[in-house]
Amino acid sequence: MAKTTFLDVADKNPLQTIREFLKSILNTDDVQALLVPGRSGSSQSIMPVLINDPDLIDDADPLSPCFPVNSARLASKLSHKPIKGKIAMVLRPCEIRALIELSKLKQADLANTVIIGIDCLGAYSTKYWAQINATDADSLPGGLPDPGNPNDPHLAAACRACEHFVPENADILIGLFGINTTEKIMIQGITDAGMALLKNLPQEMVEETSEEPVAREKAVTDLLASRIEYRDTMFETTRQAIDSHEKFVRYFDRCINCYNCRVACPVCYCKECVFNTDVFDHDPYQYLQWARRKGAVKLPADTVFYHMTRVAHMSLSCVGCGQCSNVCPNDIPVMELFRLTAADVQHAFEYEAGRDKEEPLPLSVFKEDEFTDVVGIG
Amino acid sequence: MSDQKYNALVVGAGISGIRAALDLAQQDCRVALIDKSPAMGGLLNQLDFQFPSTHCGMCKMLPLVHRDRSSQFCLRKGLFHENIDLMLSTELSDLAGEPGNFAVKLHQRPTWVDPGRCVGCGLCESVCPETVPDCFNEGLSSHKAIYLPVPHAIPNAYVIDLAACSRCGACEEICPTDAVTLSQSNRKNFNILVVDDELSIRDSLKEWLEDEAFTVDMAASGAEALEKLKAQTYQLMLTDIKMPEMSGTALLQKAKQAYPDLCVVMMTAYATVETAVEAMKTGAEDYLIKPFDPDTLVPMVILIYQDIEAARDREITVDTVILATGTSFYDPADEKNIYGYGIYPNVLTGIEFERMISHSGPGGGGLNRLDNGRPVQKIAWIQCVGSRDIQHNADFCSSICCMAAIKEAVLAKTLSIEPVDTVVFYMDMRTWGKSFQQYYDAAEQEHGVRFERCRIHSLSQDNLTGDLVVRYVSGSGRTVKELFDMAVLSVGQRPGNKTEHLSRICELPLNAWGFFSTRPFSTIQTPQDGILAAGSATGLKDIAESVISASAAARSASQIITSQNRHIKPPVKEMPDDQTTKTDNAPFRDVSREPVVLFVGVCTCSGRLNQWVDPDALARYFSMDPDIIRVAFINQACTADGWQQMKKEISDCLANRVLIGACHPYVFLKKIRELAQTVRLDPSLMDVADIMAPVFRAVAEEKKDIQAICTGVFSALNSGAESMKRMEPINPQPIPIAQKTLVIGGGIAGMTAALAVADAGYGVDLIEKSDRLGGNLNWLHQTIEGVSLKDFLTDTVDAVEKHPLVNIFMSSRLISFEGSAGQFYSTIENEEKKAVDVTHGAVILATGGHEAKTAAFGYGTHEAIVTQKELEIRLAENQIDPAQAGTVVMIQCVDSRQGSRNYCSRVCCPTALKQARHLKQLNPEANIYILYRDMMTCGFSESFFTRARNEGVIFMTYDRENPPAVDTGAGQITVSLTEPVLKMPVEISADLVVLATGIVPDFSDDLASLLGIPKDSHGFFQEAESKWRPLDAIKEGIFACGIVHSPRSATEAADTGRAAAQRAISLISKPAYLPDKTMAIVRHSLCSLCERCIETCPYGARMFNLDHTLIQINELMCQGCGACAAVCPNDASVLPGHSGRRMLGTIDAVFEQLHN
Repeated sequence: MAKTTFLDVADKNPLQTIREFLKSILNTDDVQALLVPGRSGSSQSIMPVLINDPDLIDDADPLSPCFPVNSARLASKLSHKPIKGKIAMVLRPCEIRALIELSKLKQADLANTVIIGIDCLGAYSTKYWAQINATDADSLPGGLPDPGNPNDPHLAAACRACEHFVPENADILIGLFGINTTEKIMIQGITDAGMALLKNLPQEMVEETSEEPVAREKAVTDLLASRIEYRDTMFETTRQAIDSHEKFVRYFDRCINCYNCRVACPVCYCKECVFNTDVFDHDPYQYLQWARRKGAVKLPADTVFYHMTRVAHMSLSCVGCGQCSNVCPNDIPVMELFRLTAADVQHAFEYEAGRDKEEPLPLSVFKEDEFTDVVGIG
Repeated sequence: MSDQKYNALVVGAGISGIRAALDLAQQDCRVALIDKSPAMGGLLNQLDFQFPSTHCGMCKMLPLVHRDRSSQFCLRKGLFHENIDLMLSTELSDLAGEPGNFAVKLHQRPTWVDPGRCVGCGLCESVCPETVPDCFNEGLSSHKAIYLPVPHAIPNAYVIDLAACSRCGACEEICPTDAVTLSQSNRKNFNILVVDDELSIRDSLKEWLEDEAFTVDMAASGAEALEKLKAQTYQLMLTDIKMPEMSGTALLQKAKQAYPDLCVVMMTAYATVETAVEAMKTGAEDYLIKPFDPDTLVPMVILIYQDIEAARDREITVDTVILATGTSFYDPADEKNIYGYGIYPNVLTGIEFERMISHSGPGGGGLNRLDNGRPVQKIAWIQCVGSRDIQHNADFCSSICCMAAIKEAVLAKTLSIEPVDTVVFYMDMRTWGKSFQQYYDAAEQEHGVRFERCRIHSLSQDNLTGDLVVRYVSGSGRTVKELFDMAVLSVGQRPGNKTEHLSRICELPLNAWGFFSTRPFSTIQTPQDGILAAGSATGLKDIAESVISASAAARSASQIITSQNRHIKPPVKEMPDDQTTKTDNAPFRDVSREPVVLFVGVCTCSGRLNQWVDPDALARYFSMDPDIIRVAFINQACTADGWQQMKKEISDCLANRVLIGACHPYVFLKKIRELAQTVRLDPSLMDVADIMAPVFRAVAEEKKDIQAICTGVFSALNSGAESMKRMEPINPQPIPIAQKTLVIGGGIAGMTAALAVADAGYGVDLIEKSDRLGGNLNWLHQTIEGVSLKDFLTDTVDAVEKHPLVNIFMSSRLISFEGSAGQFYSTIENEEKKAVDVTHGAVILATGGHEAKTAAFGYGTHEAIVTQKELEIRLAENQIDPAQAGTVVMIQCVDSRQGSRNYCSRVCCPTALKQARHLKQLNPEANIYILYRDMMTCGFSESFFTRARNEGVIFMTYDRENPPAVDTGAGQITVSLTEPVLKMPVEISADLVVLATGIVPDFSDDLASLLGIPKDSHGFFQEAESKWRPLDAIKEGIFACGIVHSPRSATEAADTGRAAAQRAISLISKPAYLPDKTMAIVRHSLCSLCERCIETCPYGARMFNLDHTLIQINELMCQGCGACAAVCPNDASVLPGHSGRRMLGTIDAVFEQLHN
């Protein structure tokens, strides 16, 4: 049973309060380092930073709407082999969910981590972030993104369609929704490990209770409703955009096979993508044959095939973080297609990526009577 | 050695024959597999559904190791194995010689269509005017006189039913490949002599037969006949029996003496049928009962003509013979025909029902009445039709019909679109096998099949409605009249049609029921040295038992072969050089570093292809491809000349990939293998593309769209070429095999297995946990047949102890077990905790079982309440005085077939009969009661049930819900129960109560988890597949035999020991195993170690090697299914030969167009 406590916010500065909280976590014996978005050294951009020195905690900026990379792959690099102690990781909900998928794919070992999830306010696209030339969350022209306004046009589409803004599967949760964050911040110990860690912190935690504030529930429900509304419209638009072979091909017209989406995808875990292997290393004669067959062939070849393959490989594990769209140089709405397909595919297998670390990957499970209408046996 | 020399002849290509042939072939024995019918598969060909899976599953018999040697597709369609020659329409006609050198004559009936030329296009069928009932569908549908014997065989060649053929010649005219050879028959040269003293008969016979184009002469007496025979050669003589002066029988004798090859048919009046039957023993071929009409005479004469004149005889020599001739069925339309079979349209046999419900059957699987076509709503199954029936000379149980009927009823329930009521009328429900009882319970409780225990009183038809009326006395004693749409007769089995004939040829005695007899303690060893029997030829068996007996027979056969042929005996300790290192002697060139050089050879089918496709356009197209060195057009690749030309072209251009465009790729399998030797190119780099299928299809559909055909031919060829271009050379590396076997358990099954392995020349480590070999045979004294088990035990123990290759570990157990098939590493520990490490390639589990303990029926409260085992021991030790046992009550199924032990222990019913009859013999005055639920006397043990009843043993049934009660108040034992017929309570004061508590396995959880194999729901060994791989564990390399597999008699246990030994030997028979080409590999540099492939592999062939941090594959366990390659996102796990490149290229090529 989760344990809910609150931190008093000093100087009406929630960011600083969170920094202090994270610092105390970093100070515990078992935690070796802290992975958190922030700025290190002279860097102006917000990127994940692995902080070892508690005195550098002011580099951390976990509330920034800047989201240039999904940290799940980084978290996997930090945790896939045994370490002494643990690494605390401040992750967005979609990053946690991707990490859960990677752990099922044996790319991460959650035993080496303490996951700290923060209620997600959503993120701006990296391009917009660069445009506004902001430094930290406090200096944003419009302040923090307004999670209560899902129609904020600057919020990334993936975030506006996201139903998972409250972290799941974190050890410790930092709650913002439904709370006056100029006064208080909610801290929840979710897992045994999380609760044990909280117990050892020197901070004064007040108002220990097992109930969440009533306002929080309403805030979450309202936000969810507006997100679902946006999502469903997005699904419908996307469905119409790809409902024929021609339209589907047109959807990827601008693709140049830069493979950015693959690099940005947190669950694309292959050491070497099949599109970089001999399978797609065609002979010159092959191109000529294609040209001969169709009269003319668009190059680079295999662009649609590439996206279809990625959909086939990853839609079961897609968490909808939107990084694929974020990094596309030609603004192809990759996320929209992935989210739509993922929704259908995960529904078909009664699976949800990132929901439960014990839930097996559908393709690893053999059921004798499954999809009898598809396979024609039964 | 010539083609005519084989190691084994297997007679009968049903499942037993196939299993035995495959087992031998896998061990490098050359096998001639013959079947009298024109298709292989036997009875199972007609049965689509097996319980409990409702699938067929025959393909699961295909080899799991050395897969490349055999075809890997549906076994009902066909079998190609490099060591098996399958000869259809072929019978054994003579056998002489001795084990190791039998001279065998084979007799092959013509089918009048050359299977080498027939392409199965079906044009002949479309023009044939004659229609006859279809045997495959049991006469429920019809086919033409030229027809496909089964709808699914590969190759599927047409055959002609000559008896139905009117010789119009239409098929021959239309056949595009000149495959029909009807006109080659020359009936004019078939001389028939008709001998009868009545002129009118002579005349009509002459007329009838001359109408069929035979040459006919007549003789009015025996003397005249002999004159004529002297003057000219006749092939057939038809003679009357009752003639003045010289009788037909006397004529037969004289004629046969002078002309032994003359075929004689006797003609007789009904009164002298006996004489005719006698005459057949002195050489007559057959007889005809007068009066007969041409419809009887002509087909018989045509068949004889076909047999004599057109059949091809072939002589081969073999080391050993396995008879796997199966059974035939009782014909319910006998003279009494009490069930109106053949009269009432809705009365079917079980097989007919199976055909009806089959999707390839006459109704496409629909269940409709045969009189009015209305959907069937209610079906009755009537058990024991022609079984357990002394009046029909069947004092045996056919063993399989109970389960078959349950399955059919469940099928009706599950497959029918309309709801169907099903009732099974039975005497005893014989659920004697593994999991049978559970299936029965599920049929009753889950599917709602109704079971009525009674012999029905009558079956008749309401002539107004066509409904079938079944009258019977129900369990509650009421007489019931119930209406059904359909009745299915579970007809009993009979010895195979040719059993008597074969018994004469092989000089084999038959048993009392007409099956081949066997030696004691074996169901496969006949009294004739070198001749073995498999499957139901020696008694009735279900699929699993047939498969087991076939492997056992193969083991004994290979024993004979090994002793005759040193080349088969391979136990060489070291791996031979040529298998470990690649040398210049390697059979094939190493082309792995050469660029692709593809040769494309196209058969033009005598120029026919040119009608559809322009060869120049083809040549132009392919010549653009830099990988294609040459395109050659060959006139007829299937002829010797054409093939020679093909070979020359290939060697000339030094191709390292070959694609041949021709018809029927499987025809080329052998040729490709030969070609591979000649040009030293691995056969996996050659392929045949079926370019004629589009042509045949167009011909058959009468759609001559040239463009469509051209596209079809081109895309077959182009995708074939693309696929060959991207076929990479595969060079699997041999892996060493430990040529030893570990046998766990020294009971009769384990000892038999150990001896069988050791006799084949391989070492055995035998572990026995106690200080004494023999297991249950140490307390069992004799079999139900009255044969002493003592000698059997001492002989076996003696042989095991003396065998130089058997290493016995007494009072020992297995304490560690690692590795995988081919290389297992075990540690064995003895009583003094001394441990020994052994290595072996295979494991045979034979830990047995023991009589279950009980607390039921007052056991333990009175010394006169004993178990069957205690009775056996006490009788033998004279602790029981039979004279004092005036009243004995035996209670069957104690704690069995219910609750947590819901299975039949199979041996208890025969044991009770054995003891009851024994006690009765010792004290004829004794009253012996056997209280039972269902008497499980399957097969021939039924006759002991009959004998016991005749000898006065009293049998009373009880049901699971109302068991008898045993009271031991005041020192007196009283057994009370409700008498089932009178429905009255009965009390029996018993001097002795004997409880049949059944068998529980000796298979500890520790051992199961050590071996890494699961147990079944009752704690027995869990087999890989209950019917088709009954002794194999799911984990390759582990096999089981004896009681740990399932309860069984000593004889049956010994046979499972032989069979398990055969399975183990096929794994360890070579010092190194060259993995099959289609085997997954891991490209470690690409592998992300996500382990999805491990979870996905259905064969457990993959593991994470922690020492080297990589995914490792067990080559013996991998079956090349490709599941790992499918689940791997980046081709780190691949199936060589099935690369993404190759697949994509092939798919691309299919859509290519040729511009003429």
